[in-house]
Amino acid sequence: MTEPAPIVYVVDDDPSVRRAIKRLVESMGLHVELFGSATEFMNSSHPDVASCLVLDIRLPGISGLDFQRELIKTQHEIPIIFITAHGDIQMSVRAMKAGAVEFLTKPFRDQDLLDAIQAALERDGARRQSVADTALLRERLESLTPREREVLPLVVSGLLNKQVASEIGTTEATVKVHRSQLMKKMGADSLPELVRMAEKIGIPGSGR
Amino acid sequence: MISANGALYGSYDYGEVARSVLIAIGASYASLDLAGRVAVAAKGRIRLAWLSGGAIAMGIGIWEMHLKGMLAFRLPVPVEYHLPTILAALAVAILASAVALHVASRHSMGLLEALTGSVVMGGGIVGLHYLCMAAMRLPAITEYSPLLVACSILLAILFSLIALLMAFGLREEIRWTVPRRLGSALLMGIAISAMHYTGMAAATFIPASPPDLSRAMSISPLANNGIALVTLVVLVAAVVTSSVDRRMGVEVRRLNQDLERRVAERTLQLETVNQALRKEIAERERAEESVRQSEDRLRRVIDTLPALVWSKLPDGSADFLNQRFREYTGLSVEEGLGWGWMRNAFHPEDRAEEEWRAAFAAGQPFEKEARLRGADGTYRWFLLRAVPLRDKRGNVVKWYGTSTDIEDRKSAEEALLETQHRLAQITRIQAMGELAAAIAHEVNQPLTAIVTNANFSLRQLTGSSPNLEELRAAIKEIVNDGTRASAVVARIRSLLVKGASRRAEIDINDIIQEVVSLLRNELTRNRIHLRAEVAASLPRVQGDPVQLQQVLINLIMNAVEAMRLSTERPRKLVIRSGKSADGVLVQVQDAGPGISSEVAGRIFEPFFTTKAEGIGMGLAISRSIIESHGGQLSIVPVPQGAVLQFSVPVSSDGGL
Repeated sequence: MTEPAPIVYVVDDDPSVRRAIKRLVESMGLHVELFGSATEFMNSSHPDVASCLVLDIRLPGISGLDFQRELIKTQHEIPIIFITAHGDIQMSVRAMKAGAVEFLTKPFRDQDLLDAIQAALERDGARRQSVADTALLRERLESLTPREREVLPLVVSGLLNKQVASEIGTTEATVKVHRSQLMKKMGADSLPELVRMAEKIGIPGSGR
Repeated sequence: MISANGALYGSYDYGEVARSVLIAIGASYASLDLAGRVAVAAKGRIRLAWLSGGAIAMGIGIWEMHLKGMLAFRLPVPVEYHLPTILAALAVAILASAVALHVASRHSMGLLEALTGSVVMGGGIVGLHYLCMAAMRLPAITEYSPLLVACSILLAILFSLIALLMAFGLREEIRWTVPRRLGSALLMGIAISAMHYTGMAAATFIPASPPDLSRAMSISPLANNGIALVTLVVLVAAVVTSSVDRRMGVEVRRLNQDLERRVAERTLQLETVNQALRKEIAERERAEESVRQSEDRLRRVIDTLPALVWSKLPDGSADFLNQRFREYTGLSVEEGLGWGWMRNAFHPEDRAEEEWRAAFAAGQPFEKEARLRGADGTYRWFLLRAVPLRDKRGNVVKWYGTSTDIEDRKSAEEALLETQHRLAQITRIQAMGELAAAIAHEVNQPLTAIVTNANFSLRQLTGSSPNLEELRAAIKEIVNDGTRASAVVARIRSLLVKGASRRAEIDINDIIQEVVSLLRNELTRNRIHLRAEVAASLPRVQGDPVQLQQVLINLIMNAVEAMRLSTERPRKLVIRSGKSADGVLVQVQDAGPGISSEVAGRIFEPFFTTKAEGIGMGLAISRSIIESHGGQLSIVPVPQGAVLQFSVPVSSDGGL
């Protein structure tokens, strides 16, 4: 499974700065897309690939920090690297607390920017992987019979077969059958793995 | 000639009888008259004189009447009279008269007194009568009829009583009338005569041997008439004297009354005048009192006014200081008079006697501020206001003024100024912060592009196969952004110097004056002593007054800043103006720590500052302004402190 090339979005009102960043980042083999404002960025389409956002704080219209908040609210979980010509500590604290990857002061060292982009893309890749895993598990969960779905939370909560049987009013042997069936369907090799899977898709009892 | 009983037969000469009755009436009249005189006469010797005079006249009258009556009786024998007995009879008559007059002239006469008086008087008259009878020397023996003798005694007493009552009743002269008195006299005269003739009738003469004629004498008709005449003279004299005296008394009384009336009138007049005078005196006293009261009131007002009130002579030396002045300063009147109000009360730094003398000499109302030492030794700011009082020719005769405590206002002002100053500073810092942010952003954008492009270029150059086309583009952008950055800086600078430059012909001393008055409070607050040494008759220069003020303010504020922290040196600031080669020159000298050569080299660079709060634009902008005027802003090297100077040429062709 090969991922498509990640995209670095750059939002800065200064075209010259945008161009310089694009030149630098593209020389690293990454795909770069440039925007003059937050609105421009929102109005463009974003392919479903790992990506990050290099965001200037001072922007025409909505500021970088406000835009960050906007994105969080609308559950766009794209990693952000802030760049600013005049930043203060207060601003950077606010940005980092809200989950920014990095807060760079212009003019920044090229390596700092590149490292931050690298980190951001990795974080996004991991996030994307986790989302994909969850989706697969949900798919597998769908394939379970109602009885198996009933047994799953009891098993991951650490109950013995005998206890599960008394819980759902059947025999221990029947529980054993259900258990091996659902393990197979979920693709779990051991009980701990099943528990992790259940945690991921948020099955009740898995956290106990 | 001899009666049946052998007695001698006597006959009366009726002419003599009539004359005796007349004399009795005359004597009565005189007696009544004199009784009145005696009554009104004053006490003591005058009364005694009147009493004795009256008694003599009356006594003689009565006595003569008897004598006359006896001579009127004719006997057929020669009759002689024993002289001593006749004279004794006269004495008795006079005494009896004196008693009668005394009784009748008393203030009051009771019944007892009247009876006693009449008995004495009657007794006297009876005595007189029978003495006279006894004096008769004739060749016969006298026999008396006891009945008629008693009758005559009773009559005498009765008539005496009547006479006394009449005399008493008539003595009130105010009411007397001559007819009444005449009537009374007539009655009395007849009564006396009746008594006499009754007495005569009581005697009977029996012829006998011739009498002893020793010391006896015969009374001839001539002597008889002579005695009568003398008696009349005496009576008339008495009455006349009495009348004259009465008239004189009346006249005297009239004069007296007149005098009294005049005295009363005069007294009244004097009293009126006196009253008027008294009234005037009272009014004056009232006026004086009201003047004193109004003076008191004024003094109270002056002393209690919430201000120090004083008056000064034309030269400024005090001649009056109100109580509040003395209370506040704790000085005595003597200590405050003359120039003591300044020398003993002012803060040493405020004792600008020359300035004050000049202000008094100028003769115009003025006000000045000074710190006055209170009795407790602390100083407070006062506003002193003086107004001159002039005579008709316009010369100042007095200065009147007040010193009002403005410490609170002053400190409020200072606090306000301080607040304003801090606010301005905060505003400035804020503005500067924003400006700095703007500048940073503006400058950092091209710088970011430059750095990024340069880094890219370096990467390309160190890489194995550089993308030459991209490399060229990057370097081209670097050049562009470099140019852009420098343009940004230039723009900021022009922004700060901005404001449409307005050129006018100006006197640089006016600029200094305005700036000094603008900053006076700031200087005072920082306890900086300013000396302005401005040159006279400087050429006028072309320039923007506001911009030049801005430059001067900047230089002065830097000087203030430099001296603010120094404590060892006196904080002296000198502003000089003078001629330069091609225009005017202004120097600002401070006594601060001075400018090191290291700092001096960079001091005019934008964003270079030695101040914690500065942004390092002041001198840079100032230099731009001066250069735009074609002049120069520079540091003059001095061993101590710092001197900055700028020049402005007369014809400025440079700049704008």
